[in-house]
This record gives sequence, structure tokens and C-alpha cells, in this order.
Amino acid sequence: MTTFLNRLDRTLNALYRVCGYIAALCMVAIGVLVTTSIVTRLSGLYVPGLTEYSGYAMAAGSFFALAYTFVEGGHIRVELVLGRLPAPARRAAEIWCLGVAVAVTAFLAWYMTRLTWFSWQFGEYSEGADAILLYKPQLFAMTGAIVLAIAVLHHFVKCLARTDYAPR
Amino acid sequence: MTELALTIVFLAVLFLLLGSGVWVAISLIAVATVGMTLFTSRPVGDAMATTIWGAASSWTLTALPLFIWMGEILFRTRLSESLFKGLTPLTHRLPGGLLHVNIGGCTIFAAISGSSAATVATVGKMSIPELRRRGYPERMIIGTLAGAGTLGLLIPPSITLIIYGVAVNESIAQLFIAGILPGLMLATLFMGYVVAWSLLRRRHEDQPMKTDPGRWRDVLGLIPVLALIVAVMSSIYTGIATATEAAVLGVIGALILSALQGSLTRASFIDALLGATRTSAMIAFILAGSTFLSLAMGFTGLPRTLATWIGEMGLSPWMLILALTGFYIILGCFLDGISSVVLTMAVIEPLVRQAGFDMIWFGIFLMVVVEMAQITPPVGFNLFVLQGMTGKDMAFIARAAAPMFAIMVLAVGILSLFPSIATYLPDAMSGR
Repeated sequence: MTTFLNRLDRTLNALYRVCGYIAALCMVAIGVLVTTSIVTRLSGLYVPGLTEYSGYAMAAGSFFALAYTFVEGGHIRVELVLGRLPAPARRAAEIWCLGVAVAVTAFLAWYMTRLTWFSWQFGEYSEGADAILLYKPQLFAMTGAIVLAIAVLHHFVKCLARTDYAPR
Repeated sequence: MTELALTIVFLAVLFLLLGSGVWVAISLIAVATVGMTLFTSRPVGDAMATTIWGAASSWTLTALPLFIWMGEILFRTRLSESLFKGLTPLTHRLPGGLLHVNIGGCTIFAAISGSSAATVATVGKMSIPELRRRGYPERMIIGTLAGAGTLGLLIPPSITLIIYGVAVNESIAQLFIAGILPGLMLATLFMGYVVAWSLLRRRHEDQPMKTDPGRWRDVLGLIPVLALIVAVMSSIYTGIATATEAAVLGVIGALILSALQGSLTRASFIDALLGATRTSAMIAFILAGSTFLSLAMGFTGLPRTLATWIGEMGLSPWMLILALTGFYIILGCFLDGISSVVLTMAVIEPLVRQAGFDMIWFGIFLMVVVEMAQITPPVGFNLFVLQGMTGKDMAFIARAAAPMFAIMVLAVGILSLFPSIATYLPDAMSGR
């Protein structure tokens, strides 16, 4: 059982890291897309949809990086009270924070999935010059939201199970 | 329940979540969800998904990760060294000597980075040990760094200004240009303070400060970074590039500069990229949450009620500015700059527009006020950075930063008396 859990822990951590790398690639993609739009504009060409595509890359990157940022301790929180609590109270507070986070991120993941589902069902197109099916970029955001919910749940369970849990 | 009771519930939930340490972005979404459930019968979750998707995929926002990336690349170069060496020959003859390197270095780094913590860290990395070695008083080393580090928010590119621009729908390019003169004014005020301090201080109050003329040819080391700043800013000012395009220019320039210095390695590239990915995800999440909160706030009618209420009080613009300054400083005691901007804009924006303020001017005012909050305890991010770098206790650092706080109060006064300091350049730009 313990070996299974350890393996699960490692696999999940690898998943967050991979999502982080994908997000980093999205960042590079934004750079390439914007550079392309500058170059094509200067040479008198017009490539439709470049600005929309960089917007999608931004959204995909932001969502994909959420879980990775979470496990790396990158999301901001107010630690004024938290940092002054004695160890047992601190752990209780962490459980409360992670509990709220589990509820919110699961809620977010569910409704991002619904959004993508409806876009696909109704075959919605984007309003911009790119005119692509909206569910395609939304799939990325949906995946990122789901992985975030998994990461938060992962840490919630870890915090409940282990008294020496320390958030990063 | 009456509207008032609901509003109190709304605020109580917000403070409970934030105060207990729930991540800011998650608190915002939770509060917005509670608010919408209380005030409307609309489908909350679907409204949330649509709003968050819209906020995250907005094109104006793409400038944000790119400028963060640019700063992260330059943060990993030997820039702190070239700034220190290059500014030494220029400043050592001024009264106050090399303390001006702190201010000048922060001003320059602020123009390539949008974060004040990164500005303090980069400049301080080199100048704290060097100034200590030369016997400069600790209080002044820390004070000038804390004060001038805040320029990161005011001098473009500024992450917080981008967030403000997106929140109130104003041109980011114009906000950036508007930040230039007030930023330089503030830097000049800081330097004036150092000069005055140096001329007035009693002899032998501290150890003698050794000045070191440095080498004039090191000044040339400033040229690449200044060229990068001029290229990015002028492309925005002349209207050749949008803020996003200028940011790409900045990233490319930063990579070239880093390569020239020999600090561009595979590891540093990946490091910078991942660092930028984390920071922009954190900010994008907060921004997404705050967009949803703004939507929920709109349903509560709280912003409108408050704007009318303040309007009926017949406050003079001066009183309003005074009240808002106090409000943001208190808020800044608990929240970081970005969170306090996104959290309040839904309520403050209609109020400020109704009072007839120029939104570009107000953005600059807001930056100075939020900066002031960065150097006040208990939550002042610049103070935390300095605490980590110097090992001094918080009380000492806060005291060292206090004169800089007073100077910033003065700057807010000047900015309110002469609003054209902020609005002159954007007005002179095309398209306004």
C-alpha cells in the first residue's frame, strides 16, 4: 500500500511538472506568435487570427501552470496569521485552507469542463478573425483546471494523512 | 435579508478567507460564488467559467507574461554588477556618494523589470555588501534600497500597471508612458534626500564612508541596458509597437544582452522561463478570480451604492484622494500590491470615474500609494526581501524605510497638485 501511494505521489508530481513545462512552451509560443505578427505586418502581409492565437496560448499557459505553481508554492496567500500559529494550530489552519481550495478548484474544474462541453456541443466559433472552434483552446484550459483540482486534492489528503506535512 | 446585511456577509467571508491564509485567487472565486448565490438566481458556475475564460484569453493580457519573462532573464544576468560598477564613477562625488548607486540602479532596473521585489533583490545583491565594506551606515543602505525599489511598480514596464490597465480598460501603452516622469521625479526626490542627509549629518556619526572613484570605462557597461530600455520605451511612445509587441522586443533584447554577457546558458534560460511561467500563472489566476468577483460585485450593486453614497457626501477631490491614500495604505498592511489593486477596482473604479478623475492619472497615483504600502510593516514585500538580504530585524528595516515613506507622501502631494506630471507625456502621444 505504501509503495503504491509513494508511486502515485511521484507520478502526480511528474504530471504537475510536465504541465509546467507545457505552460513554459506556451510562453515561448506567445513570443513566437507576437514576433510573427510584427514581422508579417512590417513586410505588408496579413495573417488573420495571430492576436487571438496568442490570447489562447496565454490562457492555455496560465491554466496549465496552475498546478505546477501551486505545488511550487507560487500562489500568493496572506501569511500574517498563518506564520504565527504554533505547529498544531498551523496544521489545522492548513487543512482548512486546503479544504476550501479543494472545493473551489473542483467547482472551477467542473464548470470549465461544462463550458468546453457546451462549446463542443453547439459547435461554437470564436468571434475573432481566427474563426476556430472554441472548444479546442478551451480543452487546454479545462485540462489545466482539472490538474489543479487534482494537485490541491493531493495536498489536502497528504496534509490529513501526515502530521509533518509542510507546504512549500 | 436587507442589502446591507448581505454586504456585511460578503465582506466578512472575504476577510475570513483572506485572513486565514486561503490563497488569494481561491478566496476571490469563493467570495464571488457566495456573493452571486446570495444576490442572484443566475447560474453561478457557468457565469464563472465564461468570465474566467474571457479574462484568461484576453489579448491585452499577453504583455504580462512577456514582461515578466524579460525581467526574469535579466535577473539572471550579471546586471547587478554592471549597474554597480557603471554607476560608481558617476555618483561618487555627489554628497552621499555611492548611496546614489542604489537609487540610480533601482531606477534603471525598474525600467526593465515590472516587480519591485526583483528590483530590490537585483540591485541589493551587489550594493549591500559593497556599501557595507565602504562603511556606509546600514540605515541609509537599507532605506534607499527600500524606497527606490518601489520604483519597479511605477517606472514602466510595471506588472501592476498592466493589471490596473486591464481592470479599468485603459491603454497599457499610455499608462506606461504616464509612469515615466513621476518615476523620475520620485527618484530625484530620493536622491535629494540623500544629498540633504549627507550635508546635514553630524561628523563622525557613523564610520567614515570610503568613496571609491571606480573606473570610467565601466560606465560603458551601462550602454547595452540603457539601449534596451530606450528601444522598448520609444517603440511604445512612438506608437510603432503595442505594449505586447514592445514586450517581445524586450524579451529578445534581454536574451541578446544576456548572451553578450555570457550568462545565457541552457540552465539559466530554462530557469528564467519556468520562473516567469510560475509568476504569470499566479497573477493570471488572481486576475481571473478578480474578474469573476467584479461580475459578482456588479450584481450586488455595492459599487454603485458606494459611488452614490460617496458622491452625496460632497467630498472635495482632495478629501477623496486623502481618504483613498489612507485606505490603500491600510489595505497594504495585509495585502500585496497586485491583490489590493484587483480586489478594489470593482468598487473604486465607478467611484473615481464619477468624481471625474483622469483614469491614467489615477493609475499613477494608485501605483505610488500601493508602493508606499510595500514598505510599511507588517506586510511589505520589499521589507521582506531586505530582511532576507541583510539579516536585520523587521523593526530596524521599517525604521530605515520610514523617511522614504515620507518622501512618497510628498510625491503624492506633488502629483495631485500638478497632475500634468503624469498626463503630459500620454497626452503628447498620438491617439488621445
